[in-house]
Amino acid sequence: MQTLAQSEKLAAAPSLGSRFLRDAIGIAAIIVAGIAGYFLFPDNLALLTRVIAVGLLVLSIDLITGYCGVATLGQAALFGAGAYAAGIACVNGVTEPLTLILIGAIAGAAAGLLMGTIMLRAHGLAQLVLSIAIVQLFHEAANKASAYTGGSDGLAGLMLSPLFGMFEFDLWGQTAYLFGLALLVVVFVVLKFVVASPFGMLCRGIKEDPVRIGAMGAFVFPVLLKMFVISGAVAGMGGALAAISTQVVGLDSVSFELSANALVMLVLGGLGSLYGALIGTVIFMGFEHVVSAINPFHWMTMVGALLIAVVLALPGGLSSIADAILPSRGRTRGGKA
Amino acid sequence: MSSVKKLLCAAVGALIAGSVSASADTVKVGIIGPFSGPFALQGKNFQAGVEAYMALNGKSVKGHDVEVIYRDLPAANPAQSRALAQELIVKDKVQYLGGVYFTPDALAITPLLKQANAPLVIFNAATSAIMTQSPLVVRTSFTTAQTTTPLGKIAVDRGVKKVVTAVSDYGPGVDAENAFKKAFEAAGGKVVEAIRMPLNTNDFSPIMQRVRDSGAEAVFAFLPSGPTTLGFVKAYNETGLKQAGIKFFAPGDLTQESDLPALGDGALGLLTTFHYAVSHDSPENKRFVEAATKAIGGADQLSFPAVGAFDGMHVIYKMIEATDGKQDAQKAVDAVKGLSWTSPRGPVSIDADTRHITENIYLREVVKGPDGKLINKEIETFANQKDPGLASQ
Repeated sequence: MQTLAQSEKLAAAPSLGSRFLRDAIGIAAIIVAGIAGYFLFPDNLALLTRVIAVGLLVLSIDLITGYCGVATLGQAALFGAGAYAAGIACVNGVTEPLTLILIGAIAGAAAGLLMGTIMLRAHGLAQLVLSIAIVQLFHEAANKASAYTGGSDGLAGLMLSPLFGMFEFDLWGQTAYLFGLALLVVVFVVLKFVVASPFGMLCRGIKEDPVRIGAMGAFVFPVLLKMFVISGAVAGMGGALAAISTQVVGLDSVSFELSANALVMLVLGGLGSLYGALIGTVIFMGFEHVVSAINPFHWMTMVGALLIAVVLALPGGLSSIADAILPSRGRTRGGKA
Repeated sequence: MSSVKKLLCAAVGALIAGSVSASADTVKVGIIGPFSGPFALQGKNFQAGVEAYMALNGKSVKGHDVEVIYRDLPAANPAQSRALAQELIVKDKVQYLGGVYFTPDALAITPLLKQANAPLVIFNAATSAIMTQSPLVVRTSFTTAQTTTPLGKIAVDRGVKKVVTAVSDYGPGVDAENAFKKAFEAAGGKVVEAIRMPLNTNDFSPIMQRVRDSGAEAVFAFLPSGPTTLGFVKAYNETGLKQAGIKFFAPGDLTQESDLPALGDGALGLLTTFHYAVSHDSPENKRFVEAATKAIGGADQLSFPAVGAFDGMHVIYKMIEATDGKQDAQKAVDAVKGLSWTSPRGPVSIDADTRHITENIYLREVVKGPDGKLINKEIETFANQKDPGLASQ
């Protein structure tokens, strides 16, 4: 038993050097893709910025669903907490973009703490239902508190000061996009360290078998709660980015629909892989954008067909293509060790 | 063989040349609306209104061809709304933006207009505040306060002194409640109880009981159109409120024509106020209904967003005329300030101060038309109503 666990661990954890190289290539790929997007689609930067904001939300779901095994259909509660916190702060005179992102992260983390505390009391299906209940409660609270949130009319009139005092958030959206891209890269690098740390390994262990981890002497609840807080901060930053780039916050940012869509994107890209979260978001939103422009009346059928095709052909998500192209990488390394 | 080839080449050449000369002088209009999803019918009405206007008035203005580009926004989603508007402006190079069904979507677009040098003509989004966000917004629909306010006087005129208001708990519902309360109490009535119902309420019998217990003589209601309205009207009939003589007042969103078949005979006798009824009796409306029915594919689906779109296109055509096809948002908007014309809904004009449409509001009763179908029959006219929400600001 012990030897089996040991060899599994060895297979999963390649040597530090090769992992670092692989991640460096991956992050370089994200930066290159992001800059290519800037030059290839200079007219669609608002859409691309939105992809980044939703990408952060999908990453945050991956942290708790893909790495901890806690399914959630209420992640937009954290995204919306960040969006509304940044929006309300902006309307009340805090107009510096970096500060607003920080405010979004704090609000998201606080909401994550609350949501984790409640959700982790339950297991399985009950947990999923709780997540839906929480996002609905957040939605209703945002609707009711219309004096602060604008209710169903949305919170408008966000006036931002230029980034570093020089770069305006304008119609063409260049500042917003590059700002978003930089934020995404920073968050991604940090998350790579988080999931590779002993804490990240512990989370994966809990996903496989929480009882065994408990028997090993680790406390399950605080570990998961910690991940919820990190996930909340990431989702909150996504919300704050959405608020900054669109200069309006609507009730859709705390909706069940957004939560469900984001989970779909994650499944499309592949659970338990940070790259999968980003790939899923880009493919889903890009496809949706293209087909809805081609046929604004019946495009949803096409999106449905794509999802069914991917789920049937690639149960591991789109990122599993990469694993299929590069077979037995993990195995050779395991053998070497 | 070669002659066929030559002919083909010539044809293709002519086509290319034709399209080039046309695109050299094409004014593009971007229309954003819900063309799919649960509100697709409202989007279809936008499209029907636009197509009806272009069918009746031609596809060009003073030699400038007008090209319409549709973009889908299925539900209220300000982030996507902004992305779509930005793309229409930057990539598709539209000179005019139009459409917009939901208020938050309009609010997301207004900050872009000045930089884009493009006016936004709103076909529906009905919150007063949108107009104050940008001087480049013109609206051809209505506001909830505008359609609701005449009901206050109507209720008092019909001998009603005590009313219970029951509205869905969201922005437009609260607007309707406030507008009615203000108008009704100014006319000497009293709102004895104000009920706000959660948006997804399906069982209305407890609410009907509260109405009955309060001793009110009438109920004022506002709910989003669709299944909830059907449930509310059904409960009003089945719990005996109608038989007990308690009257029912509401803005016309509740009895829009496309919902009437589903409401059925239970809707008979409901009193609503609104700016447009498909049954409006005028030659302009006959032409409009004929053209719009052709565009939408069925008379039962036609409802108020179509007339907002029809008049919106009229405003855009006038703007193109005034600027001679050149992009100048401020000049275009200035040109339509004070513009008045006869719309399918009756005489209308654009208020020079607020850029919101001034129009007649009609009191209508749901009755059976000559062919047995339910219609909103106009029984009283309140001429030249402005938006009280804006006038008070």
